[in-house]
Amino acid sequence: MLTRLAGGHVIDPVHGQDGIADLWMRDGRIVAAPDGGDADVTHDLGGKVVMAGAIDIHSHIAGANVNTARLLLPHWHPAAADRPDATWLTRAGWSTDVIGRLYAAMGYTTVVEPAVAPHHALHAHLELADTPIIDTAILSILGNDDFLLGLLRDGESGSAIADYAAWTLSATRGLGIKVINAGGAMAFKSNLRAFSLDDVVPDYGVTSRQIVAALQKAADALGVPHPVHVHCNNLGMAGNVETALATISGFDGLPIHLAHVQFYAYGTEGGRGFSSAAPRLAEAVNRAKTVTVDVGQVMFGQTTTISSDVLRQFNARDRARPRKWVIYDGDSNGGGMVPYEYRRSDFFNAVQWAAGLELFLLIDDPSRVFFTTDHPNGAPFTSYPDLMALLMSRDLRAEWMATLPAEALAVTTLASISREYTLTEIATMTRAAPARLLGLSDRGHLGAGARADIAVYDLGNHRDRAGAFRHAALVFKDGELVVRDGAVVSTPPGRALSLAPEPDAAIGRRLQAYYESRYGLSDALLRVPEWAVGRSQSFEVVSCGR
Amino acid sequence: MTRDESVVAAWIDGRPVTRKDAAREAARLLATARQPVIAGLGADIAGVRAVLDLAGRVGAAVDHMHADALLRDVDVMREAGMMVTTPSEARLRADVLLLAGHSLAEAPDMRARRLDPACPAKRIVWLCPPRKLDPGLVPLHSVGRDTGELPALLAVLRARLNGHPVATAARTIKAIDAMVTELKSARFGVAVWSAGELDALAIEMLCTLVGDLNAGTRFTGLPLPPGDNGRGVLEACGWLSGYPMRTGFGRGYPEHDPWRFDASRLAGSRESDCAVWISAYGAEAPAWTRDLPTIALTTPGARFRTPPRVQVEVGTPGIDHDAVQFVPASGTLMPITAARPSEAESVASVIADILAALPESSSC
Repeated sequence: MLTRLAGGHVIDPVHGQDGIADLWMRDGRIVAAPDGGDADVTHDLGGKVVMAGAIDIHSHIAGANVNTARLLLPHWHPAAADRPDATWLTRAGWSTDVIGRLYAAMGYTTVVEPAVAPHHALHAHLELADTPIIDTAILSILGNDDFLLGLLRDGESGSAIADYAAWTLSATRGLGIKVINAGGAMAFKSNLRAFSLDDVVPDYGVTSRQIVAALQKAADALGVPHPVHVHCNNLGMAGNVETALATISGFDGLPIHLAHVQFYAYGTEGGRGFSSAAPRLAEAVNRAKTVTVDVGQVMFGQTTTISSDVLRQFNARDRARPRKWVIYDGDSNGGGMVPYEYRRSDFFNAVQWAAGLELFLLIDDPSRVFFTTDHPNGAPFTSYPDLMALLMSRDLRAEWMATLPAEALAVTTLASISREYTLTEIATMTRAAPARLLGLSDRGHLGAGARADIAVYDLGNHRDRAGAFRHAALVFKDGELVVRDGAVVSTPPGRALSLAPEPDAAIGRRLQAYYESRYGLSDALLRVPEWAVGRSQSFEVVSCGR
Repeated sequence: MTRDESVVAAWIDGRPVTRKDAAREAARLLATARQPVIAGLGADIAGVRAVLDLAGRVGAAVDHMHADALLRDVDVMREAGMMVTTPSEARLRADVLLLAGHSLAEAPDMRARRLDPACPAKRIVWLCPPRKLDPGLVPLHSVGRDTGELPALLAVLRARLNGHPVATAARTIKAIDAMVTELKSARFGVAVWSAGELDALAIEMLCTLVGDLNAGTRFTGLPLPPGDNGRGVLEACGWLSGYPMRTGFGRGYPEHDPWRFDASRLAGSRESDCAVWISAYGAEAPAWTRDLPTIALTTPGARFRTPPRVQVEVGTPGIDHDAVQFVPASGTLMPITAARPSEAESVASVIADILAALPESSSC
């Protein structure tokens, strides 16, 4: 079937397109305009904006920790209000079904769950298979696991570490490697309560920096398209910009991704010893051309924090709102689920909000700063439309700032920033750049051959950009109409994107023996067989090699 | 044996029927029921997915045979929070075990030596241990006999840990103080309990005690799971509906209410007029005594008080067919390949047949 999207304002930074044009699609792909012949279906998109489906590189939507948070906060489920209608599951709070629908309604078609402990990989993939419409992927966590730290302690070669990383990615069907407060979870088990870049993991004698370096090299050696995805040490602490700056300078010239850097953009100035250091951090990112970051913007309201940084979550437990929390000492990383409410009236929360926006606005290159709230840690992903509107309007930011404590804004530079994102910059940050960062060549653009994942927005009313981004006019997934006027009209299953590196046979034998002796279990503990995932989930292999 | 309609063991009112006829009759019963309940729910993850699809279609309530125990832990978590670890970390890292309740001596985790106190060496502190113990399980310190004493003993333990005076027998205080010293000296201590034995108050007190101990050292908890894939069913209900079991779909959306959607109460009070009973792991039969029209999916050998209207035998997940289920040894969902593959039906396939046989209009 040939479909024509007629007369929309097409924005495709990959092909330098920003103007009225027709798009054609057939069999789930975008095709070149045919020579003559009529479309079977034509959608008149006059006055509307057309972009590729959006890609979220960092959103905690599935897995054991996310599910614990669901069970921890049954009363929070109504927070997923404004749901698309249809089946009973859409009333089910943050269920897998609701997550897929809410993302699709905003024009998102690919989402990465960025923190899956290998021993919970099957659990995460089961949830993703139950998440409709959107394509998904996981990042596999390494860096607090006994096997890797043992390799480093014993001075084994970089190729042994790369083999192990390849084996883990292959077994868990990951799209990349994540490292979270490297060594910190292990240190916490030995009763350390703080852990920084050059601190040593007890019993293993390796530093956090050495662990990150080893995994950065491994990802590079394997040709994993996505650079190692790093959650730095000292998240959330006053003065922690020094940790982020040290990490950037320590890996200068190497491809590396730093996650939710807003949570590391804090100085110690001002009467309360807490200030935004976002300008310094943005300047460092601007200089370090191989570094990419995502923001982890804070928005106001009730949320819950879900993190595999168990040490940080333990330290944050007394600030839980409401006052309850789960701390999980896992086989490697574990996690912490700590509910939290960001309040406009709270000095610290207001500084966090402003620091995130400063990062968005002071980092020059929209292809190196990614659009995230670290869902749900900074805010639920349902707040994305409001955040897009804030980036695009200085006046709207001023309206928000007028409601915040002046004392907080005084330790930020936000009021002095006049930049407004263009739609092309939004499309770069949420489409073109994420596809490139993840190695997904047929996504994030609208050229012939691309997957027909397309979002259409009615942005005619500038006073309600957020509404337009929240309820896409039309969304196509693989060419199928899935959303009309913000309502989900079809729920095809998504697929999971993963790498499939060929691991070395020797490391496989070694790990089989390791799992038998350490856990008394086979390596089925981290394997994700296709039959086990079930439903109609299919896997799409993304090739290694940059 | 070939896959033949005639070999599937299915009955309507005790008469052998084809699996298709059984599914058709089950669908008829469910479509005409006013408040169906799906209970037992001893099923693998594929089975739970199918059950929630069915519950959504016919507006059923969903419960699990071990929900009392499962929800005791969930309630403590969602009211107060908790710290937990994995069985592997408890075995490999713990140097002190705080055991609460006498049933732990017989727990599979103990018997399978997954919590081997000898390797690596662990010191045992036991509240309410059984009278007789294997030599390897003898605690360094113990106090109490009956599980009913646990809340009070835990309160005393917590008070002494936090330096508060308590008014109780000097002998008890002495024993408790020795325990406190032991617990505080742990490098990585693990408190172990089974919600099948402890009440919610005791579990909450124990979890709060674990939190207190972290002021100085590392301590965490290990709730031992009930059987019949209870934890796996809890997890799957969580991601599919947002809630644990004891959730009803009668209004067209999930509502979680541990009292309202308790299958035994629904059956006993006559609020429910049709039950689906699932026991693929152990051929359990429902405990309720009321004669409720029932569609039973169990392994062979289940003994019912009154014969089910529709009965279909199913295989055991992980034995007769490949399955994903919660594995207590790892504390995770794992893929289990069939130990002795057979032609026996899975819960998921029988429910799929029922779903296919439902009239279109029963969608809600």
